[in-house]
Amino acid sequence: MKSSEGKLSLVSITKEFGDTQEKVIAVNKLSLDIEPGEFVTLLGPSGCGKTTALRMIAGFETPTSGKVLLDGVDLSSLTPDKRPMGMVFQSYALFPHMTVFDNVAYGLRVKKMSGASIKEAVSEVLNSMSLSHLANRAPNQLSGGQQQRVALARAMVVRPKLLLFDEPLSNLDAKLRAQMRTEIRSIQRKMGITSIFVTHDQDEAMSLSDRIVVMRNAVVEQVGTPEEIYRRPASVFVADFIGRSNFLKVESAVTIGDKKAQIVVGGNSMKVASYSDNLRSDKSVLLVRPESIQVSMSINSSSQVNNGEGIVENLVFYGNHVEYTLESNEGKIIAVVSDPVYEEIVPIGKIANYSFDPTRAWLLPLT
Amino acid sequence: MRSNLGRAKYDLFTKIALGLVIFIIGFLIILPLINILVYAGGSSGSAILKGSISDFVTRSIIWNTIKLGVTVATLGTFFGFILAYTQVRVEFRGKKILHIINLIPIISPPFAFATAVIVLFGRSGMITRGIFDWRPTLYGFSGLVIVLTLSFFPIAYMNFLGMLRSLDPALDEAGLSLGANRWRVFRTITVPMLIPGFAGAFLLLFIESIADLANPLIIGGSYTVLASRAYMAINGDYDISLAAGYASLLLLPALFVFLIQRYWAQKKSVISVTGKPSGRPILVTSFGMRFLLLSFTGLMTTLIVLIYTTVIIGAFVQIIGVNNEITLDHFRYLLGGFANGAIKTTTFLALIATPLAGIFGMLTAWLVIRKVKRGSEALDFLGMLGIAVPGTVIGIGYAITYNDPLKLGGVTVFPQVAGGAALLGGSIAIVMVYIIRSSPAGQRSGISMLQQIDPSIEEASASLGASGAKTFRLVTLPLISGAFLAGLLYAFAHSMTTLSPIIFLVTPDTSILTQKILAEADQGRYGNVFALCCILIVLILVIGGLINYFVKRNQVSIDRPMTRSR
Repeated sequence: MKSSEGKLSLVSITKEFGDTQEKVIAVNKLSLDIEPGEFVTLLGPSGCGKTTALRMIAGFETPTSGKVLLDGVDLSSLTPDKRPMGMVFQSYALFPHMTVFDNVAYGLRVKKMSGASIKEAVSEVLNSMSLSHLANRAPNQLSGGQQQRVALARAMVVRPKLLLFDEPLSNLDAKLRAQMRTEIRSIQRKMGITSIFVTHDQDEAMSLSDRIVVMRNAVVEQVGTPEEIYRRPASVFVADFIGRSNFLKVESAVTIGDKKAQIVVGGNSMKVASYSDNLRSDKSVLLVRPESIQVSMSINSSSQVNNGEGIVENLVFYGNHVEYTLESNEGKIIAVVSDPVYEEIVPIGKIANYSFDPTRAWLLPLT
Repeated sequence: MRSNLGRAKYDLFTKIALGLVIFIIGFLIILPLINILVYAGGSSGSAILKGSISDFVTRSIIWNTIKLGVTVATLGTFFGFILAYTQVRVEFRGKKILHIINLIPIISPPFAFATAVIVLFGRSGMITRGIFDWRPTLYGFSGLVIVLTLSFFPIAYMNFLGMLRSLDPALDEAGLSLGANRWRVFRTITVPMLIPGFAGAFLLLFIESIADLANPLIIGGSYTVLASRAYMAINGDYDISLAAGYASLLLLPALFVFLIQRYWAQKKSVISVTGKPSGRPILVTSFGMRFLLLSFTGLMTTLIVLIYTTVIIGAFVQIIGVNNEITLDHFRYLLGGFANGAIKTTTFLALIATPLAGIFGMLTAWLVIRKVKRGSEALDFLGMLGIAVPGTVIGIGYAITYNDPLKLGGVTVFPQVAGGAALLGGSIAIVMVYIIRSSPAGQRSGISMLQQIDPSIEEASASLGASGAKTFRLVTLPLISGAFLAGLLYAFAHSMTTLSPIIFLVTPDTSILTQKILAEADQGRYGNVFALCCILIVLILVIGGLINYFVKRNQVSIDRPMTRSR
């Protein structure tokens, strides 16, 4: 049941902290449109402004300039309690003096719903999140994962137009985090609530989001689907922040139409199937992900691939994959070869051939 | 070393330390308390205990005490909360100064408040009569309530300050994001979470106000409470059994309330059970609330400043409000012989007691947190007795116990240390009281600091071959030196200003400053009272500053206390 409500628009919102002498710009002219039912993640290192942006949407911070629109209505004059949003906090923020039931019922009681309908709504949401048996427990009698689910139930039961998540999984262990990711995503899909999720964890962002907003130093670096962010990063920062990367210094580049390019790296001529829109021909860098590179004893004879050679500096066998570190004319190259055939592994100190498909390479501006 | 069969085994140093601590607690507080109860069983004492049910006069004294305690505790808790809430949740200039002013009453000498309030607001008060031509009677219930509330609200203020600061701001935000407005968030989230805090502050203030002796003597008038009645039983009726009777009537409710406070109110605390607090607290921004909170806070602070100004000016003029001619007569008189001995003796005895109380507090804290496996709560409670038991009760207990040599089977095992013919003029008993009264503060700060420090740091020392004593000296003490310093400063300030137990122990050979102040206040020589208070404050500040300097200089520099790993 996708709702047609819940379209959020950020119009050039800016937040400055401190006085005129020591001004810190936490968020700088952030503009973004989020469609109803969409799951968008704000991703970036700590201090990039992602949490401040979320708090401006929630109303806990007032933008220095710019507007927050929900379904076309300007929220600027509304205090947090008047905004139709639910929020899940990093510390969960469960009311420790109330039971699980009372925690979840809090927002409904504020709305002055009748006792019977509150009971019904709370039971339903507790049931759907397998929390029914914990209804009369106090928050400090719950495990981290259970507290997390109660926090989510409490935020959702009021049927907000927007769900806000402020690094809600950072206090959980790795296994639980993966489980909660799946759970949050499936519930959000079912309810069709527009959601904004703040995190510094790339795995969370990749696995949860319809779109990712990568932020750095108060500004947006790139907005895109997880695939776009990973395969077509707009900057070295984005490529480096998400996944592992080989950056090869490009000596010259000639575009040859249809978004293809012919480049020279370490004297070696290579083909690239696509490049970034904001590419400047003078300074560019070639991105190849380690898992895109094949390593073998002899040259890959296919004319479609780029070839090069390097000395095996280091080799780590992980069972399901082998990780090579090659020293080559083109630069240091990390290659991850999955499901390796033992006889074909090139030992340390030997010269290995490496190759990658031009469609797996991406040319982007250096800075 | 963990032992076999699950029985706790202690190393030699722990055994010695534990034995020493229990021995000291036994001698310094348990024995006097037992003697109180024994003497209360004497004829006039048991008459009082029975009278607490049947006799009208006794019942009215009990009722007076409870009424005073409840009123002061209610007002003090309320004021403390408002001031702490303003401090944490309202943004304004001069926050830090206001905070310091709110704490001053904690180290205030006795009588400073009572006399200053009489001078300002009494029948001939500079403000009541001088400005409003109003002549209220302060002596009695109303005066006591004003003075005690002003003296004790900082305890509640400190409690609430800690709690409000540790509240996770996300809780308020969660309430707001669920649609509750600020008033509703305050009503349904902030206040309910602080209910154990309110209960705790109320109970602490209740104990403090029923235990107070100095103020009922000066400003109580005909309003008699248990503490002042017990004092009169010794100094008027000369009936020690009678005094023990009143003292035990005071002791039992005080201990009961203390137990409730520690084992119910503190355990009920639900503050920050989940996650880590994040972000800044949500500030009060509405004009009306800001105005209300700030004017209330301003009023209280002005009152405290006014009182201290009165004390200082009063020390340097002939008779404040009547003859405002500047003079050094009071100081000339006091330092010309009247108070010299008391100044020297008091400072000397306090300086002896301070390090002993500090080390004793740290040792107890360390045993409670690190070493004692079974019964650590009981040991903690015994260590806290010195502050839980009203000073009046301790004083009377000491007078009973140590005015004669302790004999066991006809052999003197402990000499007479209190009273006129005692060893060293009774000064040993005074030092003993100083130690047992002021070590609990160090114990508390030591405990809270040790709880922050990862036990594996001490285990590392043991694994490197250091004995228990060596580890305590080389690792534990330096790590908790902050708490140790706080304990020393408190011990010194508290010893210098304590009155209620000391008043029963002074002899012609050992006169104490606070007792001199009482004598002068009794005579209505307020100029001398103010001057003595000033001398006392200067002594505390100067010597406290020196202690601070020397301890800090020898302190191992630790940038941040090492915290327990999660």
